[in-house]
Amino acid sequence: MGVLSRVSAQIAAGDLGPRAAVHLLNRVGYGPQPGDTGRVLKQGLEDYLEEQLEAPPDPDLDARLRGLTTLRMSLPEASALYAADQGSAAALGRELLSAKIIRSVHARNQLQEVLVDFWFNHFNVNIADGYDRVATAFYERDAIRPHVLGKFPDLLGATAAHPAMLYYLDNYLSTASRVDPRTGRLILGLNENYGRELLELHTVGVDAGYTQEHVFDASRCFTGWTIDFRRGAFLFRAENHDKNAKSVFGLEVPAGGGQSDGEKLLQYLAFHDATAHFVSRKLCQRFVSDDPPVALVARCARAYQSTEGDIREVMRTILGSAEFWYEAFGAGKAKTPLEYAASALRAVDAEVSNGGPVAGHVSTMGMPLYQCLPPTGYSARGADWLNPSSHLARMNFALDLVSGGISGVSVDAARVARSSGASPDDPRSVATALSAQIFGRGLSAQTLDVASRVSRTGVPSVAARVAGVVLASPEMQVR
Amino acid sequence: MSWDVSRRVFLRGAGLAALGVGFRPSSLLVRAAEGATAGNKVLVQVFLRGGCDGLNLVVPYGDPTYYSLRGGIAIPRGEVVALDSTFGFHPALAPLKPLFDEGRLAVLHAVGNTSLSRSHFDAQDFMESGTPADKSTATGWLDRAIARIQGSEVTEAVAFSSQLPRTLLGPEPVLVAQSLSSFALRGRTWASEANTLLRAAYEGKDTPAGRVGQETFAAIDALARTPAIQAPPANGAIYPNATIGSSLRQVAQIVRAGLGTRCVFVNVPGAFDTHAGQLQANSTEFARIGQALAAFAQDLGPLLDDVVLMVGTEFGRAAFVNGSAGTDHGTAHCMLLLGRVRGGRVHGAWPGLSPSQLYQQRDLAVTTDFRDVFAEVARAQLGVDTSALFPGYTPGPGPGVVG
Repeated sequence: MGVLSRVSAQIAAGDLGPRAAVHLLNRVGYGPQPGDTGRVLKQGLEDYLEEQLEAPPDPDLDARLRGLTTLRMSLPEASALYAADQGSAAALGRELLSAKIIRSVHARNQLQEVLVDFWFNHFNVNIADGYDRVATAFYERDAIRPHVLGKFPDLLGATAAHPAMLYYLDNYLSTASRVDPRTGRLILGLNENYGRELLELHTVGVDAGYTQEHVFDASRCFTGWTIDFRRGAFLFRAENHDKNAKSVFGLEVPAGGGQSDGEKLLQYLAFHDATAHFVSRKLCQRFVSDDPPVALVARCARAYQSTEGDIREVMRTILGSAEFWYEAFGAGKAKTPLEYAASALRAVDAEVSNGGPVAGHVSTMGMPLYQCLPPTGYSARGADWLNPSSHLARMNFALDLVSGGISGVSVDAARVARSSGASPDDPRSVATALSAQIFGRGLSAQTLDVASRVSRTGVPSVAARVAGVVLASPEMQVR
Repeated sequence: MSWDVSRRVFLRGAGLAALGVGFRPSSLLVRAAEGATAGNKVLVQVFLRGGCDGLNLVVPYGDPTYYSLRGGIAIPRGEVVALDSTFGFHPALAPLKPLFDEGRLAVLHAVGNTSLSRSHFDAQDFMESGTPADKSTATGWLDRAIARIQGSEVTEAVAFSSQLPRTLLGPEPVLVAQSLSSFALRGRTWASEANTLLRAAYEGKDTPAGRVGQETFAAIDALARTPAIQAPPANGAIYPNATIGSSLRQVAQIVRAGLGTRCVFVNVPGAFDTHAGQLQANSTEFARIGQALAAFAQDLGPLLDDVVLMVGTEFGRAAFVNGSAGTDHGTAHCMLLLGRVRGGRVHGAWPGLSPSQLYQQRDLAVTTDFRDVFAEVARAQLGVDTSALFPGYTPGPGPGVVG
């Protein structure tokens, strides 16, 4: 049974044509490239979605990333390198950032890239923070990426035991409190940071009804979970584990346990109703609307529960829902800075050989990638990203882009115009072509008219300046 | 006449627009000129994100329990900058001691609200909306405060932040910026053409993105009309090279240039969430706070009397040290207030640190509700009625921190 079987016959039959294709490309990925709309319609919306859920190999993307050699290192190798030379971490960060932009723009599996971004943000760590300068790239590659269309319990387990998370939320320091045999004084050992955010941000959510005592006991479950910095690996130190009984939000953990205390709690939380609901709502917020329909969230939570937290099945529920396809839901959801930059680059078929400078622009728009300080991650609500500071940075990005002013990126707007059948020296012709390629419902008459007023003389080319106006327009800020 | 357009769009409140307030003949130009001499009072809120530890910021060194609770991360008696026989600044705040002695800096200890929760996100959300434990409040407390004063220019409220802070969320326009010095449209070889065309593309667009675009152009124009905004710091003030430094430098520029700004929000991300390695983090961050506030006071000179600047955070930290030479999330925090304040003293009832005095046997207890402080400062600086500023709460007379 296909993804779209539950959606109205009208959409499944493709009556909406290009509009439905653009709608889809904007929601499951970073927006259409010129020609994408036709390709997706030819392939069929249903087949396209199945391919996105499958995420087959992408040799073209692999070739683009080949020069980024640190992506193929292991965390133990990088840790050894870092121990010898702390400056070596800079290359890891640079290549991670560059790869992030290249993937967002050029990956065929757009949904996979959106989900890597989504889940990294859900399980946020900060690359500016000490050892995470080394560990973050491997955290994304080894703990996040393999599970983004897999089982949530596996994803949760992988993040909990990864050195990047153990470091970011300080759990590597957390030990059982004990009495000093020499002085008889109590030495406090517990660190609550991970235990609290595990409940609040990673699983059941802040409104689930847990108490400070539950936070305390959750933290005790993970005492002794630490990092072998030399090997760059997870390490359980049994002598630092609090072996007393714990009680966390309905789970009783008997005394005498070890590493399994934390594992039991992760399993328990991963299958909790509140987690199914919390995770479903957040996915709906990303893929449907800022305030997602309650009924859809409930259906997703049921899909989650009946498949042991299979993210692919939750995604299938979302993508097959009328709410996802109904244009009024989430119409005009503002793009995050990353979504805006990637969609603009895709819209003009830009070639990105080095993503670093683009990442710099995204940072100026208010979203330094991999550097979100608080564990909440960046907001999934589009409305939170609209403000004059970010807006000015977005318009300047568009103007720099079409003027050839962003290094590591090449754009030929005239070629895009010609390949779309437009006359590259005729502003209205270029504007009309871009409107059809990028915007499902087309540009507003106002924007189309303004873009058509671009002077026929000047630098950069007519097509580039028309593209600049279109990319900086109000319509381009929303998906 | 882009001006008429921009005036119209500044008014996002439908009620005001219906009354035609947006078409009054006054203009920002006039306001800006008035502002330069009118001595408009300004409210500045500095928000330290992450839960800044109040017990190491202003140390209760006279309370012996502090030393037994804090162990290795306590600030030694000999290092605190004593303010009275009980409290002393963290040594990194030493640059603020002269201001304290001159009565231009006040401390307010044990402030907060027990319903804020120990979640960063919830506590910030509740504090910024001004409604603890109620997530349904759509607007931020400063947005509601600005709505109570006349005018609706985009420069009336400024936030130095990479994102619109929750505190200013709502129908009132806000200039959000990280830097005012580069707040202009680029465009290289076609700057003039791009400028004309993009203004036309946004003109009258009644969508969220359209309105933000119009505010952006209005802000560009307002800043371009006020070249004094680019003036360097006065009186030899030197700001630290940190977010709080560059932001307060620009707040001083705004105050001196008479941009007509009444509220400024300064967002300060930093190493305040000190679950581990707290002593090191405190030294770094507190030094930035101390240097930035001292430079701000020096820069403004007598104009500081027009300002009340309050520094706060979402919650304080647990009273006792944790297992990682840090502290976990707590409850009451400590505020610093600079400018037109009753300075030279530590305000607020001190709840004590013995087990029975701690909130839930772990945190400094709250003796002043943060809303009473916000309301007192808003009344003094904005002249607004605060009786209904916080839904479901009528503020008391306040702790008496404003001079």
